[in-house]
Amino acid sequence: MIANILIGGAIFGYAGWAFYRFIKKSKEGKCAACSIQSSCSSNCSVSQEKKIK
Amino acid sequence: MLGKLKTGEKGRIMNIASADKFVRRRLLDLGIAEGSEVCVKCILPFGGPVMVESCGQCIGIRRKEALRIEVERV
Amino acid sequence: MMNIALIGNPNTGKTSLFNNLTGSYEYVGNWSGVTVEKKVGIFKNGKDQLIDLPGVYTLNPLSKDEGVVTNFFLNEPFEKLLNILDASQLRRNLHLTLQLLEYGAPVIIGLNMLDVAKNRGIQIDIAKLSESLGVNVAPVVARSGKGCDELAELVTAGAVGTGKNNLVYYGKAIEAGILELENKLAGKIKHPVRWLALQLFEGNPYVKNYLETILPIEEIEKLINSVTVDQQQNADSKQALDQVIHRKRSEAIDKIVSAATTKQENKKVPLTEKVDMVVTNKFLGIPIFLVLMYVMFMLTFDWLGFPLSDALDSFLSGPLTSGITAALAAAGASTFIKDLILDGIVAGVGGVLVFVPQIFILFFFISLLEDSGYMARVALVMDRLMESVGLNGKAFIPMMIGFGCNVPGIMAARTIETPKERLMTILLTPLMSCSARLPVYALFVGAFFVEQKAAVVLSLYVLGVVIALILAKVFSKTLLKGETSVFVIELPPYRLPQARALWRSTWDKGKGFVKKAGTFIFAGSVLIWLLAYAGPEGVNVSMDDSYLALLGGIFAPLFAPIGFGTWQASASLFTGFLAKEAIISTMNIIYFVPDEASLQGLLAAHYTPLAAYSFMAFILLYIPCLATVATIYKETGSRRWTAFSIAYALVIAYVLSLVIYQGGRLLGLT
Repeated sequence: MIANILIGGAIFGYAGWAFYRFIKKSKEGKCAACSIQSSCSSNCSVSQEKKIK
Repeated sequence: MLGKLKTGEKGRIMNIASADKFVRRRLLDLGIAEGSEVCVKCILPFGGPVMVESCGQCIGIRRKEALRIEVERV
Repeated sequence: MMNIALIGNPNTGKTSLFNNLTGSYEYVGNWSGVTVEKKVGIFKNGKDQLIDLPGVYTLNPLSKDEGVVTNFFLNEPFEKLLNILDASQLRRNLHLTLQLLEYGAPVIIGLNMLDVAKNRGIQIDIAKLSESLGVNVAPVVARSGKGCDELAELVTAGAVGTGKNNLVYYGKAIEAGILELENKLAGKIKHPVRWLALQLFEGNPYVKNYLETILPIEEIEKLINSVTVDQQQNADSKQALDQVIHRKRSEAIDKIVSAATTKQENKKVPLTEKVDMVVTNKFLGIPIFLVLMYVMFMLTFDWLGFPLSDALDSFLSGPLTSGITAALAAAGASTFIKDLILDGIVAGVGGVLVFVPQIFILFFFISLLEDSGYMARVALVMDRLMESVGLNGKAFIPMMIGFGCNVPGIMAARTIETPKERLMTILLTPLMSCSARLPVYALFVGAFFVEQKAAVVLSLYVLGVVIALILAKVFSKTLLKGETSVFVIELPPYRLPQARALWRSTWDKGKGFVKKAGTFIFAGSVLIWLLAYAGPEGVNVSMDDSYLALLGGIFAPLFAPIGFGTWQASASLFTGFLAKEAIISTMNIIYFVPDEASLQGLLAAHYTPLAAYSFMAFILLYIPCLATVATIYKETGSRRWTAFSIAYALVIAYVLSLVIYQGGRLLGLT
């Protein structure tokens, strides 16, 4: 019984976490993992680039 | 005209002014300007681009742009 | 900790150097501008950061990719610059170096490709070069890593000189203009004014934009105009400012180079040119490309990939499954847990993992094409075809990368200079069949087209390309008219790919797939299994009464005209939006089978071959996956175009599948 709860809990817990992470990451695109995200102009400030031209 | 050279022929660029502004800038970036010596390495079929060598580097440009670059044969 | 930026011309071995200095796993390629993202690595000393900038010829950008660099100089803090130079193309490389020196940050130069220069008969006196620029110059061989440790020490060691920032005298008019801007800006900014002024006069739009936030726009325009007029009067010529600046720099570079190098004539024809005579040959160019593609597909799907996948499949369904069963029995697990693990997780995750060998083979070939320098030739060879649909040859590169994964493909579109072509490439790259769609084809051809596996899969890849080309033509005639397309591409010399770099590059691309199987596909499998396990009437219901069947059933009638009106098909299409390979997991779970072989047997009962082909075509086109949609949004910055990319894909997919299925039936196919 205890084994059941342990295994079940681990699986559902991990699945929930992985799902949450995936959706979050996908939405943010590649920027999420970047260490200079705060000032990165290549990905995150497309709107700024659009003004130029 | 650069576009008129045959494969293997060499020329010196005389006037690049009538080429597209963007193409001119890019060629300049690559170190190709008036006075550069170029050699046509190959010409792709159906009016495709030409491959040109200058100072040991190769670049590809479209035939119609090549036709706007004046060269003299050397 | 210091921030050090790595900067240099495209194809100078910048990315290899980055890898060798940081020891990190990095993506190495060889076509113009492979570094489309800004990447950061930690030096081997564990402290300082190295920032990899896209390759640029000058700081005055033409494409968006190059704009990244200008923005970096304007907006970001960094302590030092590491400038890598190609010794065989010193003149052109020094144009960038001069601009860096004008910027006035501490610079260290890594001199790469001395061997190539030597082969061309060019000898470089490093001490002289260092002296005339006023900065440290260190020789390196970026590909093998020779000299990199010395360079790393030089870069990370304390203070470094800023070099000479007045190597070039630009003439009276321009120098006066620089002084005037200096007066106007006095004390208002932290950037070096000389650099800003020269970039402004060269027509750098980013710098102009930046200055407009400080000075009134009229004042800037007035300054540029007066300098232009003065310059033309002084020199009595009609040359534009940017040309004057370029010429002055060239003159200064000529002096530096002729002092530091000696040249002997060398008549040997380089190997690169011999190879190019064949692969870009008038008649052979396109056939060679097609043959290479064919070999790549045969290896991936038929000769090598299939046997490997089969072996992995029999391991997963045999020893692994029985091992887990035994272990669960020993732990005293309930039937619920046992079903969850075997029918849910093993079926779902295993179904995707089976295709790891094939995906790695595909990524290996894409890496090989990039690393050897052949990609740029592909762009050249394909340009004529792309021109006829309103794109240029460079757009073919993002599409090729898209075969691996659409996300980097779309990001690679940044190297395309004109906005219109860039947008078109972004919109069309999702039609390239990415590796996540491959498992779906592999499964279905295994069930229905055993004899012509590779041919059928190849036909789907070709279908994607053909649709993309047709749509490019349509878009350029309707939605995105105007703007002529231009094409100039640098063809880097061929390089013998190095095993280590190739493996890194392959692993870097493929690991995402494996990681996704362990995270998202795992979670998705659990969810799908739960939805299939429970229904309105309770748990452990018959599959046809489950929530999943209910959900799929709503949309099933929509798909009936195109050959797959079952709830199972529509349920798997839903999960496919999140990640294409989830389609396989879903099917494995729905059809309640542990392995690929028995699923294929079951599929034969639910699909006819024609319906199977229609289904595969639909999967190919119907929607970009979630990550791709997010990337399209990031890259276009427009909700409208993002929505458009989804909508047009759905319409095209439905229409095409309808044509295939109904047309096939009219022709008497089943």
